[in-house]
Amino acid sequence: MALAVEVSNLVKRFGDFTAVDGISFSVSKGEVFGFLGPNGAGKSTTIRMLCGLLLPTSGEARIAEHDIYRETELIRRSIGYMPQFFSLYPDLTVRENIEFYAGMYEVPRARARERVEELSGRLGLEGLLDRMTRTLSTGWRQRAALATALVHQPPLAFLDEPTSGVDPVTRRQFWEFIDDLAREGTTVFVTTHVMDEAEHCTRLVIMHDGAIIAEGTPEEMRTRYVQNMVEVQAAPLWEALEALQASPLVREAALFGDALHVQLREEVVDPAEAVRQALGEAGVAVEAAECIPPTMEDVFVALARGGEEAVREASP
Amino acid sequence: MNRRRMMAVARAEWIHIRRDPRSLVVILILPVFMLLLYGYGINYDLDRIPFAVWNLDGTQVSRDLIDEFRQNRYFDLRESVLEQRRIEELLDERKVVFVLVVPPDLGGTVGAGRPAEVQFVLDGSDTTRASVALGYIEGVLNDFSGQLQAQWANRQGTQVAAPFTVYPTILYNPDLRSRPFIVPGLIAVLLTLLAGLLTSTCIVREREWGSFETLIASPAAAGEIVLGKLIPYIVIAFANVVLSIVVGWVVFGVVPLGSMALLLTASMVYMAASLGIGLFFSAVSRSQQMAILFAVLLTFLPTILLSGFVFPLRSMPTIIAAIAQIIPATHFLVIIRSLYLKGAGLEILWPQLLVLAGFAVVIVVVAAGRFRKRL
Amino acid sequence: MSGDLAVQVRGLRKAFEDVVAVDGLDLEVGTGEIMGLVGPDGAGKTTTLRMLCGILLPDAGEVRVAGHDAVRDPEEVKARIGYVPQRFSLHRDLTVNENIAYLADLYTVPPGTWTARREELLEITQMAPFRDRLAAALSGGMRQKLSLICALIHRPQVLLLDEPTTGVDPLSRRDFWQILYDLPRQGVTMLLCTPYMDEAARCNRVAFLHQGQILRQDTPAALRESIHSRIFEVRCRPQHLAREMLKRLPLVEGVEVFGDRLHVTLRPEAAPAEAWRALREAGVGELAPREVEPSLEDVFVAMGGEVENRKSEVGNGEDGESGGTGVSPILPSGEPPPPRTGETPVPPGGK
Repeated sequence: MALAVEVSNLVKRFGDFTAVDGISFSVSKGEVFGFLGPNGAGKSTTIRMLCGLLLPTSGEARIAEHDIYRETELIRRSIGYMPQFFSLYPDLTVRENIEFYAGMYEVPRARARERVEELSGRLGLEGLLDRMTRTLSTGWRQRAALATALVHQPPLAFLDEPTSGVDPVTRRQFWEFIDDLAREGTTVFVTTHVMDEAEHCTRLVIMHDGAIIAEGTPEEMRTRYVQNMVEVQAAPLWEALEALQASPLVREAALFGDALHVQLREEVVDPAEAVRQALGEAGVAVEAAECIPPTMEDVFVALARGGEEAVREASP
Repeated sequence: MNRRRMMAVARAEWIHIRRDPRSLVVILILPVFMLLLYGYGINYDLDRIPFAVWNLDGTQVSRDLIDEFRQNRYFDLRESVLEQRRIEELLDERKVVFVLVVPPDLGGTVGAGRPAEVQFVLDGSDTTRASVALGYIEGVLNDFSGQLQAQWANRQGTQVAAPFTVYPTILYNPDLRSRPFIVPGLIAVLLTLLAGLLTSTCIVREREWGSFETLIASPAAAGEIVLGKLIPYIVIAFANVVLSIVVGWVVFGVVPLGSMALLLTASMVYMAASLGIGLFFSAVSRSQQMAILFAVLLTFLPTILLSGFVFPLRSMPTIIAAIAQIIPATHFLVIIRSLYLKGAGLEILWPQLLVLAGFAVVIVVVAAGRFRKRL
Repeated sequence: MSGDLAVQVRGLRKAFEDVVAVDGLDLEVGTGEIMGLVGPDGAGKTTTLRMLCGILLPDAGEVRVAGHDAVRDPEEVKARIGYVPQRFSLHRDLTVNENIAYLADLYTVPPGTWTARREELLEITQMAPFRDRLAAALSGGMRQKLSLICALIHRPQVLLLDEPTTGVDPLSRRDFWQILYDLPRQGVTMLLCTPYMDEAARCNRVAFLHQGQILRQDTPAALRESIHSRIFEVRCRPQHLAREMLKRLPLVEGVEVFGDRLHVTLRPEAAPAEAWRALREAGVGELAPREVEPSLEDVFVAMGGEVENRKSEVGNGEDGESGGTGVSPILPSGEPPPPRTGETPVPPGGK
């Protein structure tokens, strides 16, 4: 299968700070590729390099079969990029913004008009095309930015936190749209901090401190990296949380919705029973404690925390 | 008014200035640089004024008169004209500033003791140059007539004093050099520009950076915020005042005759007023560009054009002169020039100082009053 | 007014030019409660919070926060509340410690008490190693944690949070909540705007805001129980065909993709077997449908549908909005823009 993105040993240093530390991965055409990691892990830096906006310190990358050093102009023509921060002209209307970028990508005028209609229909922007962009709230701006990034029908789309600050309904629509895009053949490279959303991806990598620490399908991620997960209902919940965080058997305990998700150490044989016991000793009433498959968020936190600990051990 | 809150605002502002070394360099170097540039550049003194002579007389008297000009270091004889047409040519081509026309029989007229007339044809297109030249010419002529009268009286064997002899005793700047006049004014204008640039963005900037919302959601009062913002810039302004005085002294040799303490005090009061104006614009503007635009259009230009720095207040129409009175620079110019040139003291300058102090207080109060702790 | 209420709002209204952002909002939050404020983009959440802080003047209505009138005595309110705005609102060129000291001074916290508080907060949020780092050099997650620390340094009675974890990774989000969850025990009342329904689920009560009004408020459990539609998780091959097909069925309210599974919401009266039969008839392989509990997110989506139904009953354009058709179910056009300092012109109320 042809590769949309091919990265090997990519490095970016800013002064003596290494933002991206020799990462390698590849994305096949038509994938929805999830690029996850904590804030400051180097995701946006990587995306900027892949979009040809930032020159790598070393390493190789081919985007849509173009070389990242020599063919940045060709790369820019074959991708759509939706940056993390609002980057449209606030004093242009939504339509004017989309048409402006259509012009930049040399989309013929008639075709651009068609695309405006098509994208605004699919993104629910029809009623807002003639509104000044600055008067839109976050969710609508994000839709406008997405339409702008896709106006020239790029074969590869980089979306940096497209759903940031967007309400749940809009978020669902975004992902439906992304699923459709991928089925129509567009490769989507996407970052998000909402781990539910990561489930939409065909494949994921998790980046931490400039390195890739995990890779796989969502299913593989959930089964490969985290064991001994227990969901706990207890009252009062904060007492349960404190008791579990204090327990030596517990690796991580945190709120998950209105329940607790508790990851126990590998050596614990019956995790649910261990949790009940720990809470019993602390005098907290347990309503329910059952072993569950970990959610993506559990996986993410476990991996990222593991990464942090590894870093902390490395530097005294 | 809570001192701790005010100082918190001041400290944050100070750290901001310190962490932006480029702006600090600009703040400290720019005024000095401009003082050097304009201090050398602006000079009303004329040296070796080019002139020509059309001598229709040819007697000893006319030769003496022309020699008087030739020997004077301020004048430079370029040509002796032989016909009238040439006069216009020379003036048109700006080869000379004036042409001295000596009428026929000047010697006879003077010898007879009758009043004589000589003509000066001046290029009036450059008013400043023409009037300075005319002043010099009158000086030379006064000297020359004095000599003639003395000679004439000698020959008559009597001692007839001329009815009036002008002995100008020029106080404060005896050589009428323009630098001691210009440099203090320049210092005042540059300090005004600096003050406007320093404070016109310091509040509105927080709006654009987002830190405004936390600030107005806190209990800090408008007065505390405005005064807190003012404090670090007062310190910087003091450094600039000292630097300017030192450069004026070391580079241009311009030393204040009056009290240094009074000069520093007056400068700081003036800076407080000017910084306060910047703060006012910062408090009421919605964007940094708007604040800077206000500061430049509404303070800097009037300071240059109306304060008496370039054009004397006395030559302005009454209304404009009245408007000039509400520009702080007008009063500060009186103070700084008097201190530099006359060595005047507080007993003379207190009204101006009082006006400036009042201005500073009023503008800070108004800025605080116009500052709304609302979005 | 009752002394037990930390926040009491009646008939709150605010319009920006021709757009009504908050339209007769009533809200009460008891002392020590965590109240979640959720709603579609532009529902008026940020505007409401700003009026509660006393930094935006309402057009009409009463606002009492921490026992004081936010319209008449905004300074009294400001001294008693902590506020984390949506946009990072601290000094980027100050370090973590300097920012905290700045806020402690602005709130005149006695010097002896806030340093201990600072250490405690830095420790819980894992921010202690970064105390001397400039705020500009912090990652998004760390910035938000710093904002929270600064908002808490003076031990406010009421904490107002405007989407504090937007753009924050799950790890930092957990650190963040580690602090939040401890606050009600100390008697701190919290009003939290959030786009994340798992965070809303942690609140004692949740209010759904739509077009500047509260449509419904209740405990998360009661809200979930109010959903009568049944939700099934099902794996299908090929998934996108199943999705398209299910969406067309009249008994299906909605379909959502969760990785390799679909969440299918069926109308309350529908027989689930019918749906699966339709799938099989269309030749889509279907595996083990499993009924799942509705989440708060399902409630949110259902509320959106409800709003849409109500609108279509009322008829088009009656509230003066045109061009609302075709826009997403919950959001007609003409959404009031939440003003963001520096990005949008500040409303005329600020003058």
